[in-house]
Amino acid sequence: MNSVFDSRILNLVIFFPLLVGALVVFLPKDEKGQIRAVTLAGMIGSFLTTVWAWSRFDIHSPIEFQLEYRLQWLSDVGISYHVGVDGLSVALVLLTGVLGPMVVLSSWTFVQERVKEFHLALLVLQTAMFGAFTSIDTMLFFMFFEAVLVPMYLLIGVWGSEERQKAAVKFFLYTMVGSVLMLLALFAVYFLSAPAGARSFDYSTMYNGLMGASRELAGYLKANPDGNGVGLTPVAFALFRYGPWLFLAFSLAFAIKVPMFPLHTWLPDAHVQAPVAGSIVLAGVMLKLGTYGFWRFAVPLFPVAARQYQLMFAVLAVIGIVYGALMCLAQRDIKKLIAYSSVSHLGFCMLGIFAFTPEGATGSAYQMLNHGVSTGALFLLFGMIYERRHARLMSDYGGIARVMPVYAAFFLIVTFSSIAVPGTNGFVGEFLVLLGSFKSTLPLWLSVTAATGVILGAAYMLWMVQKVFFGQVTHQENLGLSDLNKRELAAALPFIILIAVMGLRPQPFLDVLNTSTERYVARAMYASGDGPADDRQVRVLVRQLPRPTVAAAAAVPSMMPGPTPDGLPRPARAMMVKPLQPLQPTLQPGQAQVLP
Amino acid sequence: MDKLQAFFQTAPVDPTQAGHALWLIIALPLLGAFICGVFGKIIGRANTNLVAISSVLGSFLLSLLVFWTINDFRATSPSPFGGVAYAVGADFGTWFHAGSFKVNFGLMADHLSGTMLLVITGVGFLIHVYAAEYMSHDKGYWRFFAYLNLFVGAMLTLVLADSLPLLFVGWEGVGLCSYLLIGFWYDDPQKAFAGRKAFITNRIGDFGFLIASFLLVLLVESLVARPQSAPGGHVSAAYTAAIAEKGPLAFSVLEETARNLPDLLDEKIVTGPLSGTSYGVALTIIMLLFMLGAAGKSAQIPLYVWLPDAMAGPTPVSALIHAATMVTSGIYLFCRVSYLLVLSPTAMIVVALIGASTAFVAALIAFTQKGIKKILAYSTVSQLGLMFLGLGVGAFWAAFLHVVTHAFFKACLFLGAGSVMHGNADEEDVTKLGGLRKEMPITWATFLVSTLAITGIVPLSGFFSKDAILHAAHTQHIAGYHALQTLAWVLGTLTAAGTAFYMMRAYLLTFEGERSKEAKTPHAHESAAAMTGPLVVLAVLAVIALVHGLPIMHIQRGGVTVTQTLMENFLDPVFRTTNELIARRQYLELPKEHASMAGPWLQAWIIAIVSGGIAFFLYRRYLPAKGSFPGWIEPFRKFSFNKFFVDEVYEFFIIRPLGLFSRALHKVVDSIFIDGMAVHGTAWLTARTGAVLRYLQTGDAQMYAAVMALAASGGLVWAIFKVMP
Repeated sequence: MNSVFDSRILNLVIFFPLLVGALVVFLPKDEKGQIRAVTLAGMIGSFLTTVWAWSRFDIHSPIEFQLEYRLQWLSDVGISYHVGVDGLSVALVLLTGVLGPMVVLSSWTFVQERVKEFHLALLVLQTAMFGAFTSIDTMLFFMFFEAVLVPMYLLIGVWGSEERQKAAVKFFLYTMVGSVLMLLALFAVYFLSAPAGARSFDYSTMYNGLMGASRELAGYLKANPDGNGVGLTPVAFALFRYGPWLFLAFSLAFAIKVPMFPLHTWLPDAHVQAPVAGSIVLAGVMLKLGTYGFWRFAVPLFPVAARQYQLMFAVLAVIGIVYGALMCLAQRDIKKLIAYSSVSHLGFCMLGIFAFTPEGATGSAYQMLNHGVSTGALFLLFGMIYERRHARLMSDYGGIARVMPVYAAFFLIVTFSSIAVPGTNGFVGEFLVLLGSFKSTLPLWLSVTAATGVILGAAYMLWMVQKVFFGQVTHQENLGLSDLNKRELAAALPFIILIAVMGLRPQPFLDVLNTSTERYVARAMYASGDGPADDRQVRVLVRQLPRPTVAAAAAVPSMMPGPTPDGLPRPARAMMVKPLQPLQPTLQPGQAQVLP
Repeated sequence: MDKLQAFFQTAPVDPTQAGHALWLIIALPLLGAFICGVFGKIIGRANTNLVAISSVLGSFLLSLLVFWTINDFRATSPSPFGGVAYAVGADFGTWFHAGSFKVNFGLMADHLSGTMLLVITGVGFLIHVYAAEYMSHDKGYWRFFAYLNLFVGAMLTLVLADSLPLLFVGWEGVGLCSYLLIGFWYDDPQKAFAGRKAFITNRIGDFGFLIASFLLVLLVESLVARPQSAPGGHVSAAYTAAIAEKGPLAFSVLEETARNLPDLLDEKIVTGPLSGTSYGVALTIIMLLFMLGAAGKSAQIPLYVWLPDAMAGPTPVSALIHAATMVTSGIYLFCRVSYLLVLSPTAMIVVALIGASTAFVAALIAFTQKGIKKILAYSTVSQLGLMFLGLGVGAFWAAFLHVVTHAFFKACLFLGAGSVMHGNADEEDVTKLGGLRKEMPITWATFLVSTLAITGIVPLSGFFSKDAILHAAHTQHIAGYHALQTLAWVLGTLTAAGTAFYMMRAYLLTFEGERSKEAKTPHAHESAAAMTGPLVVLAVLAVIALVHGLPIMHIQRGGVTVTQTLMENFLDPVFRTTNELIARRQYLELPKEHASMAGPWLQAWIIAIVSGGIAFFLYRRYLPAKGSFPGWIEPFRKFSFNKFFVDEVYEFFIIRPLGLFSRALHKVVDSIFIDGMAVHGTAWLTARTGAVLRYLQTGDAQMYAAVMALAASGGLVWAIFKVMP
């Protein structure tokens, strides 16, 4: 049931917020109400587009990237505008869409300065995140991935708390460091994955180009674990020598974003200083760019290296779970506590990703959504009380349940979701991740250590809840706090509904996620020989580039060296690539052998 | 008589359809919770009471129907292995599945869950009625009833679930409600803390539960992956089909797993993460982890510390959650998976020993406590310990019978304590009460009946259930652990004596003698009918539940007439697999012939009478005459009164070090090492390098040209050397 719109939906999803932004630009600066209303309407509209995309996603389809759209763009260097969604990305797109309106509602009265710029930043951020989750072209992904930084930097740096500048700079530089290395690694993969003339930044080209070499390398390493790589074809040899480095370069970029221990210290600072809206987006969506990156790029492109470093990353993930939880126990600042709890929760996501089991991967993907909902809700709710009191320390509160009972009830429900009480969404994710970890080849003690996160999570969250909500009201100024108003209820209620729905009816979500899980695990295992033997199951199949323009088309036949690895014509840019050929002359013959 | 029997064994509804209505039993209290919680404030107190009570009553009536239905021989719950006899059930579709793992929303009521249903909804209903009066002055009534209804819903989920993960929903759900209800009066930080303590201690248990579940999945999968060539061959096709259909953690699958295991216990697992260990060892570890889970929920050593503190909650809560229902979940769990437990003698003896020592220690602490609810709380811990002793020695029906009788008399005791507090301006200290017999006659009478029941005086129900456990501990032997089991039995018997002592003490101090001078009110008043009514009903139940303990069923088994108690006979369908496995592996040596019960009964009776008599002498004769106990006994009393300082030990050795450790970690590792040295160090280094390199950027063109020339000539020299051979 293809509709003519299907290939256009994602464009709408990505650029709708930007269009709304264009509208906002023309609104007068002082009409704050109008700006807010238009942005809110735009965010709701944007949310509806993501729902549309979600509803058009067909879980029974054998096609990996659905709603695909591809356009000629910078083809001279092998880049195209290529978007599409698989199960994981469509889920993350939906999550981003859901959070949009809440973010606007949460800042309705909180942000009073530079209102127009604030909402523009939110809208641009939305577009950038949608773009990052839907890009199939790695360069396009990289651009969106970096584009996310700018509005977030502004959100923290302009609308943040006292030390916002410092936190914003730290956030920006920290994430940039990783990105630069990733960019270098991307270039390396670009040259490695295909012979001159066929090179492309497209994910399909990169993955399909390295696939055979990874398999060869894995077989070689199985036969001679201490081999020096002699006898490998050139690409496989390059993977043998440089694969781990490339993998680590990708991983560093994404691990900073996640953030994994020990690269997490930017997160508490950023969260503490960020305005509520920034915190919600940061925790809710941006951190998932890291896990998503591991899932989409770091692991599938370098399955052999990923297997070699599996234990290391799993250990770091488990350290993250336990360490993050212990950090929470040492905090006095509520926002910092929630930030560290993110480190702990994302540890579960990473453990699931590096378990390389279907349960673990699905659980990890689901945990990404859960964390977006529950931590997003925590920041949202905390923002409400912060707006009233402008205090972040637990000791500034106490006995709030007496003054704001509805608020307390909401907070408590979200807390239960965060500590994964069965029946809430958190449980399904955590259960699957831990089960996946137990079923994996990881040592059992590691999984058991990870499971202690279940205890520690309850310990720090309930401790915080008690400090803030229970006991007598200890501060005079807390006595007069008003309970939630209608706007705040409207912002918080969807989260509560999501928590219940995702906890009790997780299967519709899991069905969508499972479609990418299967491929992810197959790709991770493919190279080690444990996965499916048939490479058709893991090969990335995408839409061909649309026919080039007439003038370029005339040049194609003579320039085409033959069918390209993924069967896609790569016209027009061969001329540009040709001079580069001498740089990698040795790769040429090997390439021909590896690729059918 | 036959007609009566036929009447009760004919289901009032179609047994094949009844399973599809099971969800209603859970849904009613949940709906009640929703209405009370969201609209309770708007609809007012009376309506809230009505909603809360009627939803549980509705559940109770439905449970009665279900209970009636499962007595019908036609009642068969659908199962992948051809159906479960004397049960109704239904599968309501997938909850979640990923990879090869799956969980369904499957509910089932057999004789075990059916009995639990009646206890939960029946006692629950009575306690709701009681609570409506008890909480009649509390502003948070709507919150209270929302939590209480939610609890009933969660507890019903726990007993109706037909798989471990769904059971876990109820398992954590009741823990959650317990947390909310203990901390119900959250203004008091101590009460809020007690709630948190309960939840986190429970979570430690749940950690064990979860890991046990995961390991069980691994065990099932390695069983499926066993090579065809291995002795015993492959598992049946029905087994693999059942795993695909119901998931590896459904009870039907686990039961079949247990049937597959007996001959493999010594075999090494060769596939999967468990490879290297034998099936038997893996199973033992799993069972011990389940014991950790059960220890959390059912307040056993080492996790019992939360239950006494849980008395911070309103008294109806203590009666319903912390005496009658939630804390028995651990026993229910082990009854459910009894077929796995009997395959591991090591796990059995550990369960028995933990139970017996908990029972003994808690009884010792109960000797000197002053709060009436505290005494009852330790008494609960102690009685739960006895139940675990029963589980450990394979007397599942006896342990479960004790669950039922204990639910009646302990709920009655707690409600009686609540009534006492209600009539005495919330005075809890038994030493400041006294002489209530005249002033609160109904409370007195019911409290006395229940005290006698828990003490084990013939012919009250507690006598039969407790004695059945001790008798089994004495006569059924766990293979290879005779000495340890004797120890467990001795501890159990001492506990029985201790129970008589501390309960008699509590009763005497509260109801007999003169009214204490320190009493808060000069005169107590008897509670309203809404409170005394449930007391009477529960006291009556505490008496007539004795029927279940009578050996009146004579059945033919293998040509021999076997005498069984009513409960044993009733639960027979539930424990059929378990009994088969016991017979097959002989890990449990059952007595060859049924000895007469008269001797042990007399023995138990004497123990109770003597011990109760000592208490009577001490607190009615000795103490009033002398005024205080002899000096040499005081240190012991203090030690017991301070609960053996277990809380302090935990605080000192676990909680504080953990807090210190995390603070140190934060200060040193996070702030100094990672953020300070690594992150800011890098930034500093970059800035310094930039500052140094800045001096190279002089803008002096001649300098640049000179460097260029130098480099170029250097390159040239290198090239020349390279070219030369």
